[in-house]
Amino acid sequence: MAISESTREQLQQLAARYPRPRSGLMPMLHLVQSLEGEVTPEGITACADAAGVSAAEATAVASFYTMYKRRQVGQHHIGVCVNTMCGLLGGDAVYEALSERLGVGHDAPTDDGQFWLERIECQAACTHAPVMTVDWEYMDDVTPAAAVEIVDRLERGETVLSTRGPAIRDFRATEQTLAYPEDGLAAEGTPVDDKMLVGLRIAKEGGMAAPGVPAPSAPTGQEG
Amino acid sequence: MTVTNNAPSGPSPDVAGAGTDVEVAVDLITVVVDGVEMRVPKGTLAIRAAEQLGIEVPRFCDHPLLDPVAACRACLIEVEGMPKPQPACAQVLSDGMEVRTQYSSEVARVAQEGVMEFLLLNHPLDCPVCDKGGECPLQNQAMSVGRPESRFTGAKREFEKPINVSAQVLLDRERCVSCARCTRFAEQIAGDPMIELLERGAKQQVGTAADEPFDSYFSGNTVQICPVGALTSASYRFRSRPFDLVSVPTACEHCASGCSLRTDYRRGVVTRRLAWDDPDVNEEWNCDKGRFAFAYLNQGRIESPMIREHGSLRVASWPEAIDAAARGLATARGSVGVLVGGRSTVEDAYAYSRFARTALATDHIDFRARQGSAEEAAFLSSKVAGAPVSAAYDDLESAPAVLLVSLEPEDESPIVFLRLRKAARAGTQVLSVGATATRSLGKMSGRLVSARPGDEANALRSLDDETRALLGQPGAVILVGERIAGSVGAASAVLELARETGAALAWVPRRSGERGALDAGALAGLLPGGRPLTDEQARRDVAAAWGVEAADLPSEPGLIGADLLEAARDGRLSALVVGGVELADFADPGLAVAAVENADFVVSLENHHSAVTELADVVLPVAVVTEKSGTFVNWEGRPRPFGQVFRDALTMSDARVLAMVAEAMGSSLPADVASIRKEMGALGPWTGARTPAPDTAPGASADGVVIASWRQLLDSGLMQEGEPHLAATARPTVAIVSASMAAALGETVTISGPAGSVTLPVVTGDVLDRVVWVPTNSPGCHIHADLGAVPGTPVQLSAGGAA
Ligand code: SF4
Ligand code: SF4
Ligand code: FES
Ligand code: FES
Repeated sequence: MAISESTREQLQQLAARYPRPRSGLMPMLHLVQSLEGEVTPEGITACADAAGVSAAEATAVASFYTMYKRRQVGQHHIGVCVNTMCGLLGGDAVYEALSERLGVGHDAPTDDGQFWLERIECQAACTHAPVMTVDWEYMDDVTPAAAVEIVDRLERGETVLSTRGPAIRDFRATEQTLAYPEDGLAAEGTPVDDKMLVGLRIAKEGGMAAPGVPAPSAPTGQEG
Repeated sequence: MTVTNNAPSGPSPDVAGAGTDVEVAVDLITVVVDGVEMRVPKGTLAIRAAEQLGIEVPRFCDHPLLDPVAACRACLIEVEGMPKPQPACAQVLSDGMEVRTQYSSEVARVAQEGVMEFLLLNHPLDCPVCDKGGECPLQNQAMSVGRPESRFTGAKREFEKPINVSAQVLLDRERCVSCARCTRFAEQIAGDPMIELLERGAKQQVGTAADEPFDSYFSGNTVQICPVGALTSASYRFRSRPFDLVSVPTACEHCASGCSLRTDYRRGVVTRRLAWDDPDVNEEWNCDKGRFAFAYLNQGRIESPMIREHGSLRVASWPEAIDAAARGLATARGSVGVLVGGRSTVEDAYAYSRFARTALATDHIDFRARQGSAEEAAFLSSKVAGAPVSAAYDDLESAPAVLLVSLEPEDESPIVFLRLRKAARAGTQVLSVGATATRSLGKMSGRLVSARPGDEANALRSLDDETRALLGQPGAVILVGERIAGSVGAASAVLELARETGAALAWVPRRSGERGALDAGALAGLLPGGRPLTDEQARRDVAAAWGVEAADLPSEPGLIGADLLEAARDGRLSALVVGGVELADFADPGLAVAAVENADFVVSLENHHSAVTELADVVLPVAVVTEKSGTFVNWEGRPRPFGQVFRDALTMSDARVLAMVAEAMGSSLPADVASIRKEMGALGPWTGARTPAPDTAPGASADGVVIASWRQLLDSGLMQEGEPHLAATARPTVAIVSASMAAALGETVTISGPAGSVTLPVVTGDVLDRVVWVPTNSPGCHIHADLGAVPGTPVQLSAGGAA
């Protein structure tokens, strides 16, 4: 797919947000990914041109970060956290169940191009472990059965709500948000719920406080 | 081969008032390395301090000319007070610091051994089939600091091998240790970040963008500095083992940058050439032309002397051919023109110079086998010939500002470009007078001083105050290229500007032999060492050195340039002696051919069959650069002497052949390099009054669309023949125009000049309106022959391919 003039203009606008155009490279790559469903060589070159770096430098960035894909992702990106907390609490089993349901392994698309399955790293949502993501929106406290059901519903085209965020759209829409965070959806859902505040509540009730920051001139080496 | 044990590089002193020889005080600190107390300049890296003590800390990513990255971790040492081992290549020493290398620290030894084992986990250890085997830092250091045996038993990472990062440079990814030398070179030194470390973790690998190969003019350097066998060149891969090669230090014959090279050969054939370490000139780099373009040495050679009989050339013996040349030239004595090629050694050029003035009794001599003007000749004679160094590479580096006039260094003198880029990165302001702000100018953070081709003199005379002030700073330099000859009044304007601003002025010819030929007096009106032919004292000096009467030397300056060619064409000169000249290189190749055709008698000294040998009456084969010793003089005026690579070569240098002809004519010439050097040395440079400087009024650019052009580094040049991988990395032949002209023209343009037309793809660039840039001599566009054009010639443009 050729990069259109309007895309080039959008890339220029992203470049203009930063004191140095090259700082805009990452949102630019998300933008071309939102338009093409993957980061193509043409997309990389267009980003490189707008960011004022070489195509090789942009390729280095696009290939370093795992959120940039160089094959068609399909309609939905499914992530399963398998880091320590989620893995122990059932993430590995969730991944196995999804892998079987979708017939695909790590970091690959299904044959029909509908889904992309990926083992992902800690999403900073360990309170709700095990965590699964659909198009990078949280699905908290999943079980293997619940995860498979989410996929079934997505496949049937039903509306699926993320646990704490907006209704699931599709991978490209999320990529658009990553390029332009101002999508107006920030207020949807409840990003912070009770479960996440349990620790804070207990701390308040027990009158606990973080230990004071030691004065820089006299480190004690004794903390907590 | 990887050379990293350079003298320690302290911080580059901050020279105030550059160009003046101020002693800069360096802050010294006291450090202790392996128990030895030493004083080093502040900012010294631990690895450099250790080197000073003769201690070699293992290293892969460290390179004295690249910024430290500490990517490979091979150089871990113990630093007193630090909890963990530190990389010596990035550890800046501070006063009182104590460090211990593997020689006195068990921590360092174990750390280095561990890193080496780690680096070897995925390394294929295919040394027996690896080009680097025998000169490989990984092989060597695995032996010196690694574990005797690996504990790794798993499957090693495998990759498809090799991949092309360019047509010339190949990559075996499984051998890479991710040291980032190649990528740092590309980014920091060449300014061509077309290779990068891609992917991450165990998959990390060097690579290019999908559709943009590593077509950098300097790509071969990455092969040389890769500390393992990951990068190889298509030209050398699997050709030889390093220990089967004989290495000879040489000087590059391709351009006037004057690189020191090392030529490696095996069984009488050159297998590769490497950049050699010469901190004053090419540092440790060279360009891909100098590195890879040597196949020509063995191809299309003239095997034996030939003489023309009944209209066609036949093989002749040396005595017969020498005799024929001598008789023909004796008949024409006094009416002979001498054309000397731009890649002659200074010794050979000197031989032509003396041969012309003595045996031939003529002053009709010119070394400029290209567009050359009388104004340029006057400029060179008055300012450059035999003159001491006016600016050197070091001066470029410390200059506050450098003005380029008719010079595109990346194409026309690549090491000048690298040095200017280095200077610009440290703050030198580069300015370029021309019609196009190239990508190359961008790499030097340079600014264009706009001048339409032909308008350079006016532009120089109307520089704004700010630019003048830049050039008025102490240490500022003006560099003038050979193309200044094509712009009326430009040389005069440059002289004036240098006088006014006090900036140093240096001439940067393209070819390796031009400065030497000028110094040797291979230009009418000029005797060796910058002596004016018309100066009595100068003539007496030279006559004495040559063992002739001053009265016997020609006293009237002879013909040069197009005048010389026209005289030969019109029968006013009856013979020509032509040494290493390509007729297509002249601004008017038709005139050059007619000159050689119409001259009654033509002697050609050549190593390759050419348009001249086709037409000559006597063809005398001469040695190529590997078969003789000699000296090139680079743009700085610095001699670049080189020895004979093939000592048993059966060929003779131009000087020796000329000496034989001279002898047969009853004259004499020194024949060997040593005697010529001695004679030139004894004459020395001229200290008397010089020939008058030119004072030509500014010319003006023609109306309409005019040509801007220069020769690209990699092009149709004959000395690049036989190396297809190199040719495949050349820049594509395109016409570059401004955005508004490109919009009007569409994808292709047909350019029509006086002699014909070419059709080329259109590329938009930062070019002045009503100017079209095309390469001078690239496949599909040879402006002299195809268009009858030179820079500044008005042309017609039409959209598309219709001629
Ligand atoms: S290819 Fe060679 S120079 Fe480049 S990173 Fe790998 S080992 Fe280093
Ligand atoms: S820069 Fe010039 S002298 Fe150096 S290697 Fe290249 S052609 Fe030869
Ligand atoms: S470990 Fe899964 S979200 Fe933190
Ligand atoms: S040489 Fe020091 S980390 Fe590579």
